Amino acid sequence: MSWSMDMDKRDHELSSAEPTFTCELDDNVEWLRKTDIFSTIPLERLRIYALMCNRRRFRQGDFLFRQGQPDDKGYLILSGKVQMVREYRDHSVIVQDLEPGAFFGGLALLADIRRLFGARAATDVEVLYIDRETFRKILRQFPELTEKILDVMIKRIVSMEEKILEKHLHECVLE
Amino acid sequence: MIHKKPLWYWALTRCRGLQALLLILIVLTIFFRVFPLEMQKRIVNDAIRFRKIDALYLYCALYLGAVVLAGIFKYAINVIQGYIGQRILYELRTGLYRHIVRLPIPFYRRTAPGMVISSVTGELASVGDFLGGAIAVPAVNVLTLLTFGVYMFTLNPLLAVLSVAIYPFEILLIPMLQKRFNRLNSERVTTTRKLSNVVGEAISGIQEIHANAGYALEARKVDRLAKTLLDLRHRMNLYRYGIKFTNNFFQSLGPFLLFLIGGYLSITGRFSLGALVAFLSAYEKLYDPWKELMEFYQGYQDARVAYRRIQEAFDVEPEFPLKPSDRAPVALQGAVTVQDLMFEVEDRVRLLDQVSLQVSPGERVALVGLSGSGKSTLAMVMAQLYRYTQGHVYVDQWELKDLTKIDVTPHLGFVSQYPFIFDGTLKENIVYGRQAALLNGNPLPGDETGEPPLEEILRTLEFVGLTEDVLRFGLNTVLDEAKEKALGERIVRLRQQFRDQWSDALQDAVEFFDAKTFLDYSSVAVNIIFGYPVDGGRPCEILPLRPRFRRFLKEVELEEPLVRLGLDVVNRTVPLLRDLRDDPFFFRQSPIALEEMDTFQEIYEHYGAAPLERLPPSVQEVLLGLALRVVPGKHKMVVVPRELKEAILKSRSLFQQYCLQRDPNAFVYYSDTAYLGARTLLENILFGRLKEEDSWAWARITEAVVDLLKRENLFHTVLEIGLDFPVGSKGDRLSGGQKQKVGIARAFLKHPRILIMDEATASLDMASQNRIQQFLDGEIRGKITVISVAHRLETIRDYDKIAVMKSGRIVEIGRYDELVEKKGLFYELVHGHG
Repeated sequence: MSWSMDMDKRDHELSSAEPTFTCELDDNVEWLRKTDIFSTIPLERLRIYALMCNRRRFRQGDFLFRQGQPDDKGYLILSGKVQMVREYRDHSVIVQDLEPGAFFGGLALLADIRRLFGARAATDVEVLYIDRETFRKILRQFPELTEKILDVMIKRIVSMEEKILEKHLHECVLE
Repeated sequence: MIHKKPLWYWALTRCRGLQALLLILIVLTIFFRVFPLEMQKRIVNDAIRFRKIDALYLYCALYLGAVVLAGIFKYAINVIQGYIGQRILYELRTGLYRHIVRLPIPFYRRTAPGMVISSVTGELASVGDFLGGAIAVPAVNVLTLLTFGVYMFTLNPLLAVLSVAIYPFEILLIPMLQKRFNRLNSERVTTTRKLSNVVGEAISGIQEIHANAGYALEARKVDRLAKTLLDLRHRMNLYRYGIKFTNNFFQSLGPFLLFLIGGYLSITGRFSLGALVAFLSAYEKLYDPWKELMEFYQGYQDARVAYRRIQEAFDVEPEFPLKPSDRAPVALQGAVTVQDLMFEVEDRVRLLDQVSLQVSPGERVALVGLSGSGKSTLAMVMAQLYRYTQGHVYVDQWELKDLTKIDVTPHLGFVSQYPFIFDGTLKENIVYGRQAALLNGNPLPGDETGEPPLEEILRTLEFVGLTEDVLRFGLNTVLDEAKEKALGERIVRLRQQFRDQWSDALQDAVEFFDAKTFLDYSSVAVNIIFGYPVDGGRPCEILPLRPRFRRFLKEVELEEPLVRLGLDVVNRTVPLLRDLRDDPFFFRQSPIALEEMDTFQEIYEHYGAAPLERLPPSVQEVLLGLALRVVPGKHKMVVVPRELKEAILKSRSLFQQYCLQRDPNAFVYYSDTAYLGARTLLENILFGRLKEEDSWAWARITEAVVDLLKRENLFHTVLEIGLDFPVGSKGDRLSGGQKQKVGIARAFLKHPRILIMDEATASLDMASQNRIQQFLDGEIRGKITVISVAHRLETIRDYDKIAVMKSGRIVEIGRYDELVEKKGLFYELVHGHG
């Protein structure tokens, strides 16, 4: 089964392009460009990221990674839905629902961390992923990219922290 | 001990029978060398003078016979002499090596591998060359000299005395020159060793050199030594040829005297002409043996220098004897008692100081501390890898220092942090300890005939978590003919079952071979032939060179589109990867290999935008080759247009017809019912290929494959095949974790009573580490004494004893909870303040 066939089924802007003449690489570039992290990277460099990522499918209910486990990849959803799940001692909470085009898990590209959440495929899912070694090797080749990527990553972390703080404040008020 | 014997010992005691034969041959040769001289004299004095034709014939025939025999004997002497030399060299080399591998670890801390290598190979070879002729050469030449001397003396005593009178000068002069030569030669040995070390070091440190572009720096090191060598060699030549010159000069003085005096005597009628001719011939014949003696002398001096340097270098005793001489090997039970142990290295640096520790059989003890605290040293001393200076280590009731290697090694397993992996197969590495015990004459029960039983090896693989890796090695193996014969049919039967049961579920991980569809995860070449060449080799490399294949492509109108595809691949790949040439990593998913980038960049620059007609045939051929190796599913920068895929698919059946007519045995075509000899075991089971070599794809299929193999009783067979996986030099085809597991398996397989692990699980992931921990906790708990140098403290929670070390001393000892409660150094280590 070739990837170009799936593309026709997919409902996003790319389907207008001539499927037989778009390679997987170009397709990857289009996807990556639309994420905040990779959007600032010049196209010719982005093509290298696009070359070095891989695709993978998950069945509904499969975990892409689990909370508390080490995992060294960043993921971009190409099709399907993914849920971020935080497990507590006696129950689990769905923290976020992610749609095609969402990039998540990127912190693992910067450091060897354990996952704070699990990621579960809510439907059959196809993702594009890149692992830490590859990510870092590209940065080593083009160090000027580091600044741009760090910038976005840190903004992400700050906004997340903000959300958490807001929520805490809210909860405190409720109590 | 081999290195203690003087050089002459070898010549005098080895191959005595052959040496005797040699001497007999020598005496005969000498006779046949003098004999022609006498004939010469008689031919002139007797036959010619008295015009006796018969006598002339007779003497000439005898002359000829003697010369031929002398030649044949000389040949035999050379062969025997060479053989004796090589025989002794063999004994010297193996004996020296046996000594070298037993030398203590500290010796190798200060000795560079290059020096050891050049000793065992080059330096020793010159000794062997000398030893072969050590008896024969002087014997033959001294005897020859004497014989000719005596013969000359009988012809004319006065002339004889005169012509040898010059030799004493030489005998005085030459050793003086030789002495200086020897001094330089000894320096040369030192410099050559240094050179081997620098080169050896550069090879081991190649990564660092590349990382710093230290090419010039390294070249400078070699340059300096090479220059010294140049200088030394030049000065050595001055002496060497000086010796030669002296020799030649005195030698040519001889005939001058002979002509002068012999001529005078002959004119005055006191000496016959025939005798003068014979005398001159005899004198000339003196030259060869004399020259050979000189060369022998120089060879002897060279060998003496080399031999002495080797003796000096390895004049170290092993720290522990190999086997007990006066008793049977002991059987250890696993108790270890350390008492006031002290361990010092050079300059009285004390690495262990007053260490005492008691371990009962079956106990588990952890050694912890910061790096440099001496925990690894203590572990190595307890593993009999170092000889301690003071204090005691008792294993059961025996002092460890007094036990031999054969007493200890079968009962003690040692796993270091980075176990060494030898070039060879995985199995050879795992059974290393068992094989060593077998060769040492102390095999484990069941090993008397050879390798440990397969079941036992497989069980050990399971304990250390290597089974899955080995399965993967096995499945990725291309079977040899014998194995294919034995297994082929059974594998093909599996294929059908696999299809029925799993093909739908594994669609996203596997691309099944199907004659009717284009295979995205096989190369374009494979897509055309849907098979492989019988003679082996990769189709995409062989096919473009075959005119018949090119004709076929033209006929089915594929040639032009494929060349176009090749050019398209160049245009898409070169700009993408040309800046990334310093890291092969980026070329993993590229149809153009790193080393081909120059070629293809040139094509890109010259012909990137050119119409196809303008491409020279050689470029077309290269592009065709490139197009044929494209794997559309893997090479993401490439697009194979849909029409082209369809055309290729259509050509597939045409190709088979085309080949069946012309060369029916050239290819094997993929067939559902036949084993594919050129493909891996896995590809044969799947009748397809994994879409990615990634771990997830493997994880997906493993369950299915294992299930099937087990059902068909083939699981162990595949593991056995996987055990034959060649691990590469230093195991570089294994991951860090796999190497560690091999090290642990190697120790476990010995069934040791004491297991010493020096951070042996440090490079394992959590799952593997837990698995090994489980084995230590369950199966062997209480049966094996475990002493473990640990850095991950959570793994030693329920150890029986934890010894906390600091600066070579044990500062705290107790159970985990006790030590935490104590709030001492261990507490600090646990909380990361240390």
